[in-house]
Amino acid sequence: MEKLESIIRLIQDNKGAPSRAPIAAETRFREDLGFDSFDLAEFTVHVEDAFGVDVFEGGVVETVGEVKKKLKI
Amino acid sequence: MNILVTGASKGVGLEICKTLLREGHAVYGVSRTFTDDLKKLAEGNCAFHFKSVDLGDSAAAKDAVFSADFIPNSVPLGGFVNNAAQVYDDIVTNISLDRLKAMYDVNVFTPMLLTKYAIRNMIFNRGGGSIVHISSISAHTGYKGLAMYASSKGALEAFSKNTAREWGEKGVRSNVVVPGFMDTAMSSTLSDEQKNRIYKRTSLKKATEVESVAETVAFLLSDKARSITGQNINVDAGTI
Repeated sequence: MEKLESIIRLIQDNKGAPSRAPIAAETRFREDLGFDSFDLAEFTVHVEDAFGVDVFEGGVVETVGEVKKKLKI
Repeated sequence: MNILVTGASKGVGLEICKTLLREGHAVYGVSRTFTDDLKKLAEGNCAFHFKSVDLGDSAAAKDAVFSADFIPNSVPLGGFVNNAAQVYDDIVTNISLDRLKAMYDVNVFTPMLLTKYAIRNMIFNRGGGSIVHISSISAHTGYKGLAMYASSKGALEAFSKNTAREWGEKGVRSNVVVPGFMDTAMSSTLSDEQKNRIYKRTSLKKATEVESVAETVAFLLSDKARSITGQNINVDAGTI
């Protein structure tokens, strides 16, 4: 989770909206983190680089918990 | 700049590799065979990297190209030249679905997937980049026997235009070079009479020069073309 959280923080920093608000399994990428499709693309690329899994390949993923499940972490 | 070039083994692809290497870029060439011309290019040139990849296998091409031993994210990609193509020369009433699918794998599906991962590499490295697809004048003028081939190039042109719209704000440009008929292996099945008939349809009354196509690709990849995206650039000896 530490690695995943650091990727989320990186995307938030890159989009000019740094935040350190807690991230939970229920946290939604679009509604809670304000990620748009470009942010999600950047997030996916970094997750794939770190974990070797393309989390969005099998369809839409909405929450941090769903990503964790796909990464088995 | 690190630049991926598909169909590097001969014709336009080989010339593009030569031009880019001359300009001081690192070139990652991909094709099915490591031809003698490519071997000569690679000799003593550490800026040229080659990998043999079957681009007809769309599902496997990404893993082969964007692999740890070729273009991982640690190699920031600044350019992607989608040049590899297969010609399917026949009249419409003879269409074979298998041959059509095989051609679309090489000409459309693999290029789309490689574009996907080229852009992903560019996003990862936050450097933007330039994509250049090689189309064909047949998509615009029409030639007997090239309806299927031309349709695949038309698909690429539409893909490029929309890629440009979608990714422009992230610094990724996408353009198409539309060459006229060149005297390459791809047109080797044509007789001299057929070729001359085609050349007569051009303003310059001659074949499109491969070097001119390669130089245009190099220009579009460069920062000189930083305000050009979503365009089709005809390099076709003024085909009418």
